[in-house]
Amino acid sequence: MISSNIFLLILIPLTTAFLIPLLDLLHIKYRKILVGIAGILEFTVSFSIIFTNFEFLKKGTLFLTYNLGGWSPPFGINLVLDSLGLFFSTLVSVALLLITVYSIGFIGHHEGKYYVLLFLAFAAMQGVILTGDIFNLYVFIELLTLTSAPLVAFKRNRNSTEASIKYMFYGIIGGLCFFIGVILIYFSLGTLNMAEISSHFTELNTRMQLIIITFFLLSMLIKLGIFPFHFWLPKAHSACPSSISTLLSGLLLKIYIYIFIRIFWIVLDYNVIQEIGLADFIVYLSLTSCLLGHIFALQADDIKRMLAFSTIGHISMIVAALALNTEAGFYGGLLHVISHFLMKSALFTGTGYLLQYTPSHNIKDLKGVGYKNKNIFISFVTASLGMIGIPPVIGFISKWYILLAFLEVNNHIGATIVILGSLTAVVYYFRFITAGYERTEVGTSKKERHVLSVFYREKIVTMIVYIFTFMAVITGVSFKLFDLPLKAVIDVITNPAYYINYVLGG
Amino acid sequence: MIYNIVFVILFILGLYTVLVKKSMIKMVIGLNIMESAIFFWVISLSNTGNLIPILQTYMEEKAVNDPVPQALILTGIVIGASTTAFLLTLIIELKKLGGSINLDHIKGLSE
Repeated sequence: MISSNIFLLILIPLTTAFLIPLLDLLHIKYRKILVGIAGILEFTVSFSIIFTNFEFLKKGTLFLTYNLGGWSPPFGINLVLDSLGLFFSTLVSVALLLITVYSIGFIGHHEGKYYVLLFLAFAAMQGVILTGDIFNLYVFIELLTLTSAPLVAFKRNRNSTEASIKYMFYGIIGGLCFFIGVILIYFSLGTLNMAEISSHFTELNTRMQLIIITFFLLSMLIKLGIFPFHFWLPKAHSACPSSISTLLSGLLLKIYIYIFIRIFWIVLDYNVIQEIGLADFIVYLSLTSCLLGHIFALQADDIKRMLAFSTIGHISMIVAALALNTEAGFYGGLLHVISHFLMKSALFTGTGYLLQYTPSHNIKDLKGVGYKNKNIFISFVTASLGMIGIPPVIGFISKWYILLAFLEVNNHIGATIVILGSLTAVVYYFRFITAGYERTEVGTSKKERHVLSVFYREKIVTMIVYIFTFMAVITGVSFKLFDLPLKAVIDVITNPAYYINYVLGG
Repeated sequence: MIYNIVFVILFILGLYTVLVKKSMIKMVIGLNIMESAIFFWVISLSNTGNLIPILQTYMEEKAVNDPVPQALILTGIVIGASTTAFLLTLIIELKKLGGSINLDHIKGLSE
């Protein structure tokens, strides 16, 4: 059904981004009020979409469309929100509210530039999720790279600038591969609409299909930071302020997972990929990457670097679970998307707080930091336990389902690597936890280094860390809550015909 | 056919520059060569020997080239220009901050 509400999801962050510099002309104090209101508005719109369409969600027939400029699908650009999109869109809205509130407490300098870039990035994410046109998707991906790269360089020191340059090089090459894929699709099928591509893709000859799939796969591997192309990730995720690390590690990679699902299952045909034999290649490549990510995390002395390497491991695990192309794999992978988002956000936001009291990110300087800041360190420990996979945190549930998915298809190598990853995680998380609980007399070393966030509001930051941790625990206890939405999402992924029929026929 | 060959040569030249050269400025130039190669290739593919796009009333009967690729390339050029500008800004900033624009001098870029 046609609904203009979904357009608001892009419009609210986009308008906010351009309103911020205008409001700054009046008075600087309005800025924080504006971003707060925008966060709440986006959250409200997102949840009102869920509640007004709840019965469609139950039946698994949730399709909301909006034709830009009034041109119907094969010709114009259309926005589509199905269950898969709604799942990720809600994730973005929740993250938008929480990260914005965290930033209000956390970021002190250059706030204006920060919020403009942050809200443009959120607008690009919602655009990626909503768009039904593959070239438009490419434009939004580039917008995402262009807005997140300045955020990586936000500290304006040597390390972060280098990280940002590296991020840009990988991002542009990944984008170019995607662009070539789009162009090849346009010249072989004559359309850019995702539903039309989906309905005609199997008519192509095998060689053309293989070339198109290869380019998209290459682009996705670079963007997701899977093993041979992971070099940009640890530096980019550790050189920026913690609020940005939360955005990049917790949310941005999930958006690329969304694109991965959308491209390979709905736009292209995953059965074709399986026939070519690329499916096994994706599974084993990401399993290798999973193992290597966890092993690299072992030797990282920088706490944010350790968290970034752990992200490589978990994202690769999600990709491997999805690439199995079984219902259990989708269930585990998508549940881990939520669980990794909650736990990694809790870890990065908590680390942001702790690092205010240490001279550097290094484990040597972290000694005793948890002993002195018990209230925050307890949530750091809880989230770490979740990452390792200890109940009742949601990390246990999602890892369990991924393990079951691997065992279901008799992939014992995969199951072993998932367990090995968890065991490695015990070692590298407990290195930092024991260092944190060491009783040392360092004294108050808060002002020993140049602190970026001078206007640091402890209460707001603590609140957000607690919210993320609390959500990670509470969803771990009541994970059955996700049964209904995940079933609807899996329904959409496994039956691309629904999407085609709806967009072209309705 | 000749266009495809030129595209492949230019693209590989650009990729070679990005992968092998040590100077960041040269790497940015390499990226630009890659982008330009794609744009050139798409425009050459879209030329089917008919009239220039925009269909006007007096040319109703005639066939025109496909205008969509040209619109795509316009968008692509804008994206390419902005990414290049931003990358060069970062490189200038890095130089100002006392860094080097030579990849060999950057600690841990291969990590």
